[in-house]
Amino acid sequence: MPGRKIRAGTASGKAVVCSAPISFLGGVDPANGKILDADCDAKGLSVAGRVLCFPYGKGSTVGSYAMYQLRLNGMAPAAIVNSSAEPIVATGAIIAEIPMIAGIDVSLIRNSDDAVVCADEGTLELPNVSEKHVVTNILRCKGRILLLKRSNSVGSYRGQWAGVSGYMEPHEPDESAARRELEEEVGLGRSKLVNKIPPERFRDADIVWCVHPFLFDVKDQSISLDWEHQAYEWVLPEDVAKYPTVPGLQKIVCRLLE
Amino acid sequence: MRNPMHLTREEERVLDGEEGEARRKAMEIVVALGEIYGAKRLIPIASAQVSGASFKTIGDAGIKFLEDFSSGAKVRVRTTVNPLGLDLKRWESMGVDEQFFSKQARIVRAYESMGLEPIYTCTPYLSGNRPRRGQHVAWAESSATVFANSVLGAMTNREGGPSALAAAIVGKTAEYGLHLKENRAPKVKITLEGIPDGLVPLAGYVVGKIAGNRIPFIENLNLSHDQHKSFGAAMAATSAVSMYVYRKRGSRRKLDISQVEECISIPASELRDCAEGFRGQDSWDLVAIGCPHCSPAELRGMAKKLKDRKPAGDSEVWFCTSRRAYSACRKEVGILRKFGKVICDTCMVVAPIEKMYKTTVSDSGKAMVYLPTLGKQRTSFRPTSALLEAISR
Repeated sequence: MPGRKIRAGTASGKAVVCSAPISFLGGVDPANGKILDADCDAKGLSVAGRVLCFPYGKGSTVGSYAMYQLRLNGMAPAAIVNSSAEPIVATGAIIAEIPMIAGIDVSLIRNSDDAVVCADEGTLELPNVSEKHVVTNILRCKGRILLLKRSNSVGSYRGQWAGVSGYMEPHEPDESAARRELEEEVGLGRSKLVNKIPPERFRDADIVWCVHPFLFDVKDQSISLDWEHQAYEWVLPEDVAKYPTVPGLQKIVCRLLE
Repeated sequence: MRNPMHLTREEERVLDGEEGEARRKAMEIVVALGEIYGAKRLIPIASAQVSGASFKTIGDAGIKFLEDFSSGAKVRVRTTVNPLGLDLKRWESMGVDEQFFSKQARIVRAYESMGLEPIYTCTPYLSGNRPRRGQHVAWAESSATVFANSVLGAMTNREGGPSALAAAIVGKTAEYGLHLKENRAPKVKITLEGIPDGLVPLAGYVVGKIAGNRIPFIENLNLSHDQHKSFGAAMAATSAVSMYVYRKRGSRRKLDISQVEECISIPASELRDCAEGFRGQDSWDLVAIGCPHCSPAELRGMAKKLKDRKPAGDSEVWFCTSRRAYSACRKEVGILRKFGKVICDTCMVVAPIEKMYKTTVSDSGKAMVYLPTLGKQRTSFRPTSALLEAISR
């Protein structure tokens, strides 16, 4: 995953992930590296030697010194991964010599993931997690959008509702993949492209789905299904939440229609 | 991906460690903050003010860092320091214990060995570190930062302790935030419909709450420099902004207020309500005056009011000030000392008062924010004149 360098260096270790902001002053025990902050879902885990992932720092600027104390006690994290960098943690990482990157969506990381941080490149790798690129097409007709119910013959998310989606071939441009899937699955490869937004990523078990979303307008609601789907419905966008869908579909629909 | 900052060859050399490890680390901090905030380059600073000087706030971790760091680091610009946890000369009479003193002494040694001036005050601008209009500085200490930006017309972000120290060692800071003219325009206009006597600090308190993270514009603000000092300190304590823009009554000074997106009026009654909310109790362990540190004019004003009176009440009394003001007002200090202790280098916010007292009254809006949390005090507000009444007869 690409981010940006805050403090140079390379490190690897098991991930410790906290979804809430962390204060190193009072929030982490300097003696043993254990997270004390009650707001933190990783409370009780030790950061020592781990790749510590959290959205951003909070609290007093003395927190930078507290990170230095962790280093002196041999309890510093191996690396720090933030969604956005702020001065307290950045300064602390520099004085405590902890490799650090920012600009990473930490919600894609799970506790105990093997994590490799190469801060000079600004990257985080999760060797045991694979990233799969897929396209998801939302078809719109007269204010309604098309949901397809995935069949029992497909490889993933059987029986769940989705857009017109499928894997991208290696090196295939995403728009070509989008039109190919439209043609194969519903016979509408020549529809009018209305919107395209940057990929959204979702974590599910050992896979990070990198979803490339597209919005197409069609004139006619009659479609023909292939083997990958067992049913379809044209629904109002606000009703997507009522269907059991593949991960993140509602968010993608909202952002495409914005 | 944003373009990284442009560094000169000289700056690159420092970053590569060619001038030693301490300067490399300092440069790394300055550059990292610049990149976080999208700065394009570094700019020279005229001075620095470093916070994080009291053992109470930075603890053992801070001591360890400063001691390790100080071995190879020297500041390149004039640098003053925030108040310590004690008065270096009068700590025993303050009631500070030996252990705290020895920890504090290590911090002082580390700072002084790095070339910081032994001036421990939140009012560096009254102790010779006074930037001119348009000069760039790197100041921590929120009350000094807001005074520098708003009253002196200097330009500084609200630095943290470590980042101000790093800037002092490099002699530069990254050009972002309030160092750029376009970020200094007010976003909200606040009209104070009247400030009742003695409530200027609470006006700052209320303005800060309303401003949030928007620079306020305050029309018809007729305050002395000393009143600006306490107004701005309180505003900075309740907001994330380090600057206000003001115009005196009748002033025709041209100001760019084109970005003001909201106008809010504060009636005098709201300030009275605020004072009532901070009324607390009528007897206190400690009467604390001087947050920010008393200026020479304030010491003189209080001495004048007290000189024909006698001490009263059984509260401990602290007049907190800078060494500079203390030395400039020997005679007045003599008068004030009949009523309490005149203390330098420290104040009620960063001294370990939680070990000594339970209830404190102050005339400071800033202290209303920090005494309950940092000082664990049951806290009351009274105007300065009411405090002088309470400690004399």
